[in-house]
Amino acid sequence: MWICKDVCQSFKLLGFLDVQSVPCARESVLYGSLGSLVVGLGHFLATSRVRRSCDFAVGGFICTMLGYWFYCRYNLAQQRIRQRMLKEGMRNKILFEGSSLDPERKQTGNERSDS
Amino acid sequence: MANHSQFGFQDASSPIMEELVEFHDHALMVALAICSLVLYLLTLMLMEKLSSNTVDAQEVELIWTILPAIVLILLALPSLQILYMMDEIDEPDLTLKAIGHQWYWSYEYTDFKDLTFDSYMIPTAELPPGHFRLLEVDHRVVVPMESPIRIIVTADDVLHSWAVPSLGVKTDAIPGRLNQTSFITARPGIFYGQCSEICGANHSYMPIVVESTPLAHFESWSTLLSS
Repeated sequence: MWICKDVCQSFKLLGFLDVQSVPCARESVLYGSLGSLVVGLGHFLATSRVRRSCDFAVGGFICTMLGYWFYCRYNLAQQRIRQRMLKEGMRNKILFEGSSLDPERKQTGNERSDS
Repeated sequence: MANHSQFGFQDASSPIMEELVEFHDHALMVALAICSLVLYLLTLMLMEKLSSNTVDAQEVELIWTILPAIVLILLALPSLQILYMMDEIDEPDLTLKAIGHQWYWSYEYTDFKDLTFDSYMIPTAELPPGHFRLLEVDHRVVVPMESPIRIIVTADDVLHSWAVPSLGVKTDAIPGRLNQTSFITARPGIFYGQCSEICGANHSYMPIVVESTPLAHFESWSTLLSS
């Protein structure tokens, strides 16, 4: 995932959306542009109607951009949750390793008692 | 703290601020989509000849009713989610009071010991090299990291506002009223803020500095200060 901070100059689309530093923004706009091209060109090749193809191109841009945006942000949120769980797990492991509260120790103890 | 000419948010240092930054990015993306559509429609209108052939406009009226409703739902749902998240009251580990005066803040930690101190801005002439002008204070608000902190804000004289942008906190300090807010610092560090309600000549010179430390350091600090 492309995130540019401090090193790259900011590039603000329409003057307000910094695509360099906002996660998923750059990919959303690029995929949106690609979607717009595909839908618009495809419609024109099929129907030879310029005005309607432009309408479809803009609609395709918006739909593709927003669609990829939601998909990417959902994955980002899931990744963040997994990072937090990992961080919490690592901290607990360091804190409780070797102590009576160590879950791995309890598990090993159960296995020994079963055998 | 903010850099010079910084336009965007400061880096988030609390879970709520992280959510707010994400919501802001989401709102900007929706705004980009709307602006693209409006720009395109504007271009179309400018290229069209004016005519009065339109008799009815059922379809377009349906579109421009449903589309804004969808946009509002896209924005309202995450906004309400964060709003309710901000109002969640977990059992706070620590409660402290921030009292606004002209022109300094005073803090009271009265949970375990009677610990009270004033927090004045360090004047520029007395600032050690490398410290931040108009932001440093003589006594920082020290809080334990990754613990829910409740802060009760009030004022002694006129309206003030206790704000720390990187924690996503801004609470008005109103004389005769106690306003409550809470936050969790996600990492150790020093977080700067400034009074956010006009309160007189030195309104710009009463900053807030929150220092987030591990619990052991917080305990030794509170012991040192109360002794």
